[in-house]
Amino acid sequence: MPRELSVLGILIPTILPVFFASLLLQGALDWVLSHAGVYRRLWHPALARLCLLVCIFGGMTAWLYR
Amino acid sequence: MAPPTVTPSSPVAWLGAQLRGWAASDGERLIFVARSAFAAFLALWIAFRLGLDSPGTAMTTTFILALPSSGMVLEKAFYRLLGTVVGCSAALVLIALFPQQAPVLLVGLALWVGLCTAGAAMHRNQQSYSFVLAGYTACMIAVPALDNPAGVFAAAVTRATEVGLGVIVAAIVHDVLFPRAHGRQVQRTVQTRYEGFLAFCRQVLEQRMSPEQTELTHLRYAADIAALESGRAAAFFETGHARSHTRQLHAFNGAFMTALTTFYTLHRLLHRADAASPVPALIAPLHALLADALADPHGLKLAGLPAALAQPAADARAALNTLAAAPDQTRAAIIDGETAIELAERFAGHLAAFAAVYHGLTQQKRMQVSEPQAYSPKTPPGIVLASGLRAALALLAAATLWYWMAWGQLALSLVMTTVFCALASSSPRPTAMVKQVLTGFLIATPLTFATEFLLVIRASGFPMLVLAALPLFALALWLMTDPKRAGIGIGMAMFASQFVAPVNLMHYDAAGVANGMLAQTAGVVLAYAIFSVLLPEHTMGNREHVRAALWREALNACRQRLAGDGRTLRHRFDNRVRDLLSQLNAAAGPTPPVATRAVVREGLTLLELGHAVIELRALLAASHDGAVRDALRNVLRRLAAYLRVPVAGTNADAVAALLDAGVVIRAGLADPACDPARADRLHTVLADLHAIYTSLLDQAAPTTEPSGVPHAA
Repeated sequence: MPRELSVLGILIPTILPVFFASLLLQGALDWVLSHAGVYRRLWHPALARLCLLVCIFGGMTAWLYR
Repeated sequence: MAPPTVTPSSPVAWLGAQLRGWAASDGERLIFVARSAFAAFLALWIAFRLGLDSPGTAMTTTFILALPSSGMVLEKAFYRLLGTVVGCSAALVLIALFPQQAPVLLVGLALWVGLCTAGAAMHRNQQSYSFVLAGYTACMIAVPALDNPAGVFAAAVTRATEVGLGVIVAAIVHDVLFPRAHGRQVQRTVQTRYEGFLAFCRQVLEQRMSPEQTELTHLRYAADIAALESGRAAAFFETGHARSHTRQLHAFNGAFMTALTTFYTLHRLLHRADAASPVPALIAPLHALLADALADPHGLKLAGLPAALAQPAADARAALNTLAAAPDQTRAAIIDGETAIELAERFAGHLAAFAAVYHGLTQQKRMQVSEPQAYSPKTPPGIVLASGLRAALALLAAATLWYWMAWGQLALSLVMTTVFCALASSSPRPTAMVKQVLTGFLIATPLTFATEFLLVIRASGFPMLVLAALPLFALALWLMTDPKRAGIGIGMAMFASQFVAPVNLMHYDAAGVANGMLAQTAGVVLAYAIFSVLLPEHTMGNREHVRAALWREALNACRQRLAGDGRTLRHRFDNRVRDLLSQLNAAAGPTPPVATRAVVREGLTLLELGHAVIELRALLAASHDGAVRDALRNVLRRLAAYLRVPVAGTNADAVAALLDAGVVIRAGLADPACDPARADRLHTVLADLHAIYTSLLDQAAPTTEPSGVPHAA
């Protein structure tokens, strides 16, 4: 994967679309988890949500720069 | 905290109680200050590490997003990002259209800012903020790029990046570090509202409230409905807030409004009844049942209320029929009685529905809510136009000053004027708000100067910078936690973060900073002047505008297209009237003056009238041709004419049409060919006509003589 994408002549870092993709993925996972009632059993749901995002984004970036 | 095992008089328990009290009040505020300061310096540090062009923007963003609960922060963060992206795109388009043509570009900018500000006035809360931001972000980017159009793209990218950074940092810090969940607060609001409403109904039924108190309570409830809606919107962004919850909250607000309207109509009817009227005695057993169910602390009896009320209602109707045979009773009293029984039954139904939604909400039950409808706000069009016009003219005025005086620093003033003209236009008291911000600026000026040139200049390294700048920001954040001084705190934080937050290549230019400070303060002063001079009466919640808008809403209830059984129309009408009342409440402050109360009374009467009209129209749409239909059509036409021009003449016309329709319907009822279903419908029509009739008489009270009018409707 190239480190920068050229969109209409403008160079944007590939991480940016990856970040948006991980936000979308996290949103989907969030929906599933909150419907399953997982968040109600957690001590700090917001922290869990953040960690989830970090894991997804980190995983995708690691795969990108492998 | 350890449970107090010792006697309350012991010092340990005393200390515990004191500590708990402190943690609930000042402790919360300190945590907020620590959290927000942490977010600000974290954003600044990341901006330094990434080598961004103006790290101050990221820091300012975290201060703007410093709100008490995590849901509110996330909501505002989302809308700030949205507004910034839209504003940046608009700036790019404007610069691309008019490169190096300052006058045309400024006119274009004024148009854009005006449009955005007008859009902001039509929305509420953070959506409104998003509109405002889209307007002034374009101004912030396009104005400095006037001399250097080629740099506009870089400027837009920088701004978007830095705001994005600030938004992400603020959202994460406020959501993760000792968060205060908004969902729980909403839950508490729902519970207080439910209990408050039941207590209110009980007090009114026991006649322990004066009409003034009742009106004020209705006004406060209108504000509560709007507040719950904004709370729901904030909680939506929090973890664990199920989407089904949103639907239930919408249903809760809807059921509450319906119950409140029916209750108001019922209460008014009973209030109008004079001593000789048989209605209070007839209704007494129904009342007793209602009061009994309301007094039940768990509200278990509310669900069975409609069924329990059926038999007493039938008894009351039978009693009414025997009364009707008696010669000494007036027609009016009989119809009052019929309407009161009908309303009591309806109220019981609505109350049961309200209680069911409430219990569904509190017990976190999944319940199927039949297509709940979203809250729809309404702003008087005059105010929308005025706020757009004001923002556009403010920009043009500042631009003229800047362009012809050719004083470079005035570009900063121009941006500040636009920002505050746009921001304050959605506030009910814009001058007070701008004044607070101005006070914050003035307090911050010497403090910022001292911090920058006595402390920051000696700091070496980031930790030292934090130590040097922290006292100033902590003071600003502490002021933000005080509702009365929040504006001052925000002004201080915004001002200080622009001057203290150093750029990557530190340079200390006392004259430049002083110039910048002067220009920014001048911009806010100009915004203040514009608000006090340009259309000073056209502000959110202005009494006269709200009054005119209320009449227009009632007229719309007569004329707008009716789909199906009129649920959508009724919901929208109810929402808009209450939204207007809540604007009135926000503008009137804690003790509304007599004139405001008069508008509230008028609004509630129009609410009653509008509901009756919509129900009438729904019945009319389902009915067949005939004399009744023609008579009702005539009533609606006359009523619309009256609502358009509310004078004594049109009022008398409408009343006459109502009386005619009453005669026609009575003839229809007396017709032997009339089947029970049709008779039922005609009875409902009569009740509606009666409601319209009494509210018309209420409005015409000073000009016509209500007593002695033959009461045939």
